[in-house]
Amino acid sequence: MQKEMAYSFPDEVLKHVFSFIQSDKDRNAVSLVCKSWYEIERWCRRKVFIGNCYAVSPRMVIRRFPEVRSIELKGKPHFADFNLVPDGWGGYVLQWIAEMAGAYPWLGEIRLKRMVVTDESLELIAKSFKNFKVLVLFSCEGFSTDGLAAIAASCKNLRELDLRESEVDDLSGHWLAQFPETCTSLVSLNISCLGSDEVSFSALERLVDRCPNLRSLQLNRAVTLDKIANILRRAPQLVDFGTGNYAAELQPDVFSNLAGAFSSCKELKSLSGFWDVVPAYLPALYSICPRLTSLNLSYATIQSPDLIKLVSHCPRLQRLLVLDYVEDSGLEELASSCKDLQELRVFPSDPFGVEPNVSLTEQGLVAVSLGCPKLQSVLYFCRRMSNAALVTIAQNCPNLTRFRLCIIEPKTPDYLTLDPLDAGFGAIVEHCKDLRRLSLSGLLTDHVFEYIGTYGKKLEMLSVAFAGDSDLGLHHVLSGCESLRKLEIRDCPFGDKALLANAAKLETMRSLWMSSCAMSFGACKLLGQKMPKLNVEVIDETEPPDSRPESYPVDKLYIYRSVAGPRFDMPPFLWSMDEAVKILH
Amino acid sequence: MELQLGLALPPPPLIPIETFDLNSYGNYETREALGTNALSWPLLKLGPADNDINNIHHHNSSSSSSSSGGGAGCKKRSFDEAPFFDEKRNVPKTLHLLLWTNQPNDEDDDPSNVLHENSSSAIFKNDGEGLVGWPPVKTWRKKVHHQIPNGGTENNRLPAVENGIGGRASKSTYVKVKMEGVPIARKIDLSVHHSFEGLTNTLMRMFGISDGNRKSFKLTYQDREGDWLLAEDVPWRTFIRSLKCLKLIRSRG
Repeated sequence: MQKEMAYSFPDEVLKHVFSFIQSDKDRNAVSLVCKSWYEIERWCRRKVFIGNCYAVSPRMVIRRFPEVRSIELKGKPHFADFNLVPDGWGGYVLQWIAEMAGAYPWLGEIRLKRMVVTDESLELIAKSFKNFKVLVLFSCEGFSTDGLAAIAASCKNLRELDLRESEVDDLSGHWLAQFPETCTSLVSLNISCLGSDEVSFSALERLVDRCPNLRSLQLNRAVTLDKIANILRRAPQLVDFGTGNYAAELQPDVFSNLAGAFSSCKELKSLSGFWDVVPAYLPALYSICPRLTSLNLSYATIQSPDLIKLVSHCPRLQRLLVLDYVEDSGLEELASSCKDLQELRVFPSDPFGVEPNVSLTEQGLVAVSLGCPKLQSVLYFCRRMSNAALVTIAQNCPNLTRFRLCIIEPKTPDYLTLDPLDAGFGAIVEHCKDLRRLSLSGLLTDHVFEYIGTYGKKLEMLSVAFAGDSDLGLHHVLSGCESLRKLEIRDCPFGDKALLANAAKLETMRSLWMSSCAMSFGACKLLGQKMPKLNVEVIDETEPPDSRPESYPVDKLYIYRSVAGPRFDMPPFLWSMDEAVKILH
Repeated sequence: MELQLGLALPPPPLIPIETFDLNSYGNYETREALGTNALSWPLLKLGPADNDINNIHHHNSSSSSSSSGGGAGCKKRSFDEAPFFDEKRNVPKTLHLLLWTNQPNDEDDDPSNVLHENSSSAIFKNDGEGLVGWPPVKTWRKKVHHQIPNGGTENNRLPAVENGIGGRASKSTYVKVKMEGVPIARKIDLSVHHSFEGLTNTLMRMFGISDGNRKSFKLTYQDREGDWLLAEDVPWRTFIRSLKCLKLIRSRG
């Protein structure tokens, strides 16, 4: 009876049912039910997400999923953002593009993060995929405006071109003019990362003019304030807008033109850009402020009083990115005006200064935690913290999912008691049961890791710096955090014992980064030899690790699970601990 | 809000294991393993490959003890590590990659102070001045900050030099280096170099150019005006102050 039921659905029906299942996790679960479901599912999977481009090879992906239309790849480890990963480390996308060019003629979407993208790759994309629609290059590098020109010229139905935070070689601003007159399909364009000479404004204007579906536009810094009105009047349907430069001498006609242009954008919900702000022009935004849900002022060098005025006009704000010029007073205003706030990021205006240049302390964050019950995501740079403040924050915001605190001076204790901040962070992990991401700072002993291991059951990503006393700390995390996927550590006294004792755990995680810790070369080799499903890679830019005693600590270590085996494209400063690979090269 | 670790399990007999000589880490204090709350968590079991591990360990411990821990250097991390394992013990049949034994710290010393003292020099020296990548602010944002007109009272804290060279090295003393024929640029930290000799040495190593081939390359740089110049033509100080990026080219003739 049951057997009959299993075969009573023809494949087409199952395919149709599966088409409603979008999430990777669910699709993976579906594929494990039985062989026939595995087969059906793999033929109809259209979207693939690869969190580590070295965990699997292009060929393997293509073999399993032959009909992919959308791919997302991530390359370098997160600490690459802070110059900890040497240039030339890897993350090249060319190989992937080359293989997919043959296998996926209908590929329409490519999203890359922290990968090296060359002009050759871009030209190959332009040439190979006739139905190409979406290109997102998040924090990528290695390409120039020539590559962009190829994309613009060839992709007739391009919908999204997003270059956020990428490094682009400036060669010429005329690439924008390569979009043919027939291209009217753009929905999203983010060129905020481009330098001065890289955008022809007239080409941009014409492009915006002929794309009625444009919803999201982020200009680069070179676009001056007086040009904003021109753009906005051509695209009043914009939902998400990034200004360029927001500074100019105050002129009444320019101001009223700008204010009028903004008020004509009835759908505008999100603003960013704001380089070099002249506060007198901020009131031009007041007409749209009541609708704003997201505001990125993290480049805006405006002082607290102006920020307070602006923020008090935005009662619906859900997301705010701002410099610490906002100060405690600004955050108190935020707490009273913006009850819908879900995400707050406060960046340091003077990260390398020894003395505080602004009056931003733990009080600001405490105020927001008190006033904004929906707060879920925090990134906060400050110069002092106390356990009491952290406990208060934890109790006020049990729904926190992301908590990243950076106390600027390493190993800073509780400024009131001079104790380590173990108890404070302990309260965070204990009260915030859905916490998925945590970054630690300040003076911390092994105890904080005890708390994290005990309570951080949903924790997926943990960043640690200058913390802990011994291997016990690392052991707590590896043995206790059941959901841990990414662990990145720098400058902590964690050595061989904890890592080797928890070697099996590493196969359940995406990756582990450890730099300036105490892992010995010998232990790395052992791990690499005994754990074939892990790639254990040692990075040392000064000399080969085997030119020193085995007990010598390695400089940087990157361990990740992989079914693709050791890398083929290792740079000279990177050594694979895989048994099959020669150590010296 | 102290958590009780140690979970009240009677300690099973400590299973001895060979491992690396944790002693040769450079200058740190050895500590006596204290207390009786030893807990063993065999977390990784390896079966019949025992002998291989034995051999590897023998090899490791002998080689590491013969080369005496090396001189003190900035690279070494002077962390306190208790020497848990006696090199001469037997290896069990069920081999653990490493056994976890929970040894509490010596209560008399203040661990955090000692650690701080020993390791602070290691952390903060870091082959130069300042910390790489700390605070964790993206390079993207650092660029913005350099150009912020300082509204506060301490107006002259920002460096005058475009590349941020000088002052604390953490103000991004990295410049891009390209080599002719190599598509990917590298970055080099100029703050650790004080002469063309040292800089060239590092570059040769970075790009894998052997001593023999060194002569066939010339170091050029782009200055702030956008002109490309030969590095050796100017004094070091002028070079450092005006350079924007570097390029290694093959010398003709």
